Amino acid sequence: MNRRRQIISLTLLIVVVASGLIANLVAGNTPALGLDLQGGASVTLQPDGEFDQAGLDVAVEIIRARVDSIGVAEPEIILQGSTVIVNLPGVKDQQQALDIIGRTGELLLRPVLQTGILNENPDTTVPTNSTTVPEQTSDSVEDGAGMVSGGPGASKIISSATTVPDPATSSTQVATTDTSVAVSTDTTQDATPTLGLGEDPNDPTQTVLLLDKQGVAYVVGPAGASGKVFKNDARADVETGQWAVVVGLRSGPDGDQLWNKLAAACFNRTAECPTGQLAMVLDGVVISAPTVNEPEFTGGTVQITGSFTAEEARELAKILEFGAVPVRFGVSQAQTVSATLGADSMRAALISGLVGILLVVLLLLAYYRWMAVFVLAGMSVSIAFLWSLVSLLSRTNGLALSLSGIAGIIVSIGIAVDSYIVFFERIKDEIRLGKTLKNSALRSFESAWRTIVAADTVSFIAAIVLWYLTVGSVRGFAFFLGISALTDILVTYFFTRNAVLLFARSKRAQGRKVLGIQTVKPEVM
Amino acid sequence: MKKLMAGFGRIYRGETTFNFIGKRVIGFTVSLVIVLAGALSLLVQGLELGIDFRGGVAWELPAGSITDQDAREVLEANNIETSNAKIQFLTSSESRVMRVQVGDQPEDIRLATQKSFAELAKVEVQEVSVASVSSSWGRSITEKAIRALLVFFVIVSLYISWRLEWKMAITALVAMVHDVLLSVGVYSLFGFEVTPATVVAFLTILGYSLYDTVVVFDRVQENSQKFATSRQSFANVANVSTNEVLARSLNTTLSSALPVVSLLVVGSMVLGAKNLEEFAVALLVGMLAGTYSSIFVAVPLLDLLKRNEVKYKPFRGQLATGAAMVELMGLSAITKQTRGTVTSGDESDQSVQDTVSKVAQRATSVLTHPPRPRKKRR
Repeated sequence: MNRRRQIISLTLLIVVVASGLIANLVAGNTPALGLDLQGGASVTLQPDGEFDQAGLDVAVEIIRARVDSIGVAEPEIILQGSTVIVNLPGVKDQQQALDIIGRTGELLLRPVLQTGILNENPDTTVPTNSTTVPEQTSDSVEDGAGMVSGGPGASKIISSATTVPDPATSSTQVATTDTSVAVSTDTTQDATPTLGLGEDPNDPTQTVLLLDKQGVAYVVGPAGASGKVFKNDARADVETGQWAVVVGLRSGPDGDQLWNKLAAACFNRTAECPTGQLAMVLDGVVISAPTVNEPEFTGGTVQITGSFTAEEARELAKILEFGAVPVRFGVSQAQTVSATLGADSMRAALISGLVGILLVVLLLLAYYRWMAVFVLAGMSVSIAFLWSLVSLLSRTNGLALSLSGIAGIIVSIGIAVDSYIVFFERIKDEIRLGKTLKNSALRSFESAWRTIVAADTVSFIAAIVLWYLTVGSVRGFAFFLGISALTDILVTYFFTRNAVLLFARSKRAQGRKVLGIQTVKPEVM
Repeated sequence: MKKLMAGFGRIYRGETTFNFIGKRVIGFTVSLVIVLAGALSLLVQGLELGIDFRGGVAWELPAGSITDQDAREVLEANNIETSNAKIQFLTSSESRVMRVQVGDQPEDIRLATQKSFAELAKVEVQEVSVASVSSSWGRSITEKAIRALLVFFVIVSLYISWRLEWKMAITALVAMVHDVLLSVGVYSLFGFEVTPATVVAFLTILGYSLYDTVVVFDRVQENSQKFATSRQSFANVANVSTNEVLARSLNTTLSSALPVVSLLVVGSMVLGAKNLEEFAVALLVGMLAGTYSSIFVAVPLLDLLKRNEVKYKPFRGQLATGAAMVELMGLSAITKQTRGTVTSGDESDQSVQDTVSKVAQRATSVLTHPPRPRKKRR
């Protein structure tokens, strides 16, 4: 009974892994290699007009964050002179690279004329609540001084949020973002023809339709100001129990005077800003559209409150900081870039990797005799599984295998082999006590399993933490460490356990020399 | 040689009786010396940070039919170290450009190299651009990595404390810091250039070290439960456990280190991929240190922490060596054995029963001579 389950589970695993491998081979998915091993696309961004070093440094950070948010590959971002060079691994299409990187990067403050929810299908006319404030926009702007007196705007926002459709339900009927140009040509209920929507969402002089990340649509007027009205001291903070972003205003005609003019227009709901909301727009995406709650900001600071998570508040603060020292990038150019390590290094790494594996196999054969066959088979299953997974993720998530990833894999070879060693050493202990192979194998697995899970969990924790909290090559390493640890657990439980236990109870194995030790032949089977 | 082979045979059969705890001074001294030497070198000459961390200089020139080998020759002719030079070719539909990046160079060498490149490409000097490049490893990456590591240490300590015990968590972290310090120290001593791959190698070492220590401690934990009734000093428990996992430790180290050795010998020395060399050295040193520290640092350190616990204090100072340790090992096995017979009812073969009673006799002979309790001094 038990035996049948083991056979089924073993066959199932092999079938799953094999079909995964075959599917990937048929689809032609192969692991993409990183910048150091295979090269990729290189985008050169030339700053336009005025800029300073601090602005460039912040721009590099913003670009890094933007690129890192796309996938798991390890981009390389450097400043060469005053140009920013972004190298993307695994990207073969130069146009694709330009699409990822090539945006203007200027933060604009634009009054909101109308808000609403885009209907995915313009034919079925679903009435949209064009005047109510969707929850995403329930941020409010307050004077730093006003904040002390209790923040009248916050309560107003909370009450309006209750009348608003839940974004989770409304998002189902919302068109996807990032296609602002295409969307603005769609018929939308919000965009009354009289508004004369502009074609280019990045044009600061026209009235255009923009979306935010949740898909809420905004019709925004010409930009009243840029992020330069702010000081670059934006920070996220907990104010009266919720996350808020506080940013200072520069003084002078380009600073608080410009801001106050815009704020007054919105506070008074003039024709220029009928909704009272002021949208902060970066690269054609509405980052935040708070309602202005003060006609004049005398305190020198602006506070943006709303139902932020800590993450959202930090993100907004970072964008405001960037907006304060903007660098406008002009012509960008995409090229294909060759590998830094070169083909010879790649070949050397591959050959030495294979030699290394061969040496390990010889060592195991010498030490564990033909039980090493299980290690070989198990490693083949692991490698097939990893290869399929990496190929698939290369295709879907832009994963690229760099030297750091290879380091992760080298460690994983050691860790995978170690699981067998822990198991076999246990079996040896038991056999030495004169037990039958069958009983030794069963009990050894239980204790070895405990050890393997404990040790792999440590690796896995390392992988998870590094993955979530880091960027770049550390992240690449963490990724491979994590999937290796997971593969080890899977293969140990579903392959090694079943295969060795089945072997141990087979009639043929009894009384033989196993692991170089004579086992006892049981009299009763 | 023969003696050596016999030693391997003993390891193979699990019959070693090394007294790791008794010899702890040796291990501690060796570790202290190496770590101090590394730390001193770190303070005095620091680390040689590569172009990815410190930035440097980049030349761009029309590539034509120039190969990266030609570029390396130009760099060498201008006395620039080429092993970590980044040479890339940028191709678009209109042009093919070569970008050469090396660590920072003084102005005159920059210009001289610019001239040499112009000669190589047979173009005017102005067509070869020279510019400083920033580090690609932004400060935010370092900050994030350090924050991630701190979070990781906390979570892993909690995990080990829960799964094993907090004293083991502390010891495992100490052993890990030891390994990383040792590898970083080696880097500083030999003046190897630190690249992002090196940082990853250090992280690898960190993970490997913890993994290895957890495997050893797991056995210590298991054995201390088995010995719970037999009144032993912790030193004995630790010694027995370490000897029991010795074969596993050596095997695992060998099989993890072999691919790295191969990377070093075959990849770097035979096939000449020099940039793999330092990466492989870092990994190799770290892996060896990882195994070494689990046995010679972590376990003796754990003994220092645990020998005064109420459970072990009366027996402190007791150290079974040689034959006595073999008997203790039998004892650890017998507890396993008897527990096994109780739980699984299918243990019907006679030979096993025989062994049980045989070992049991041996074990009781250990137990019939309890240590004489020490007199309390006033």
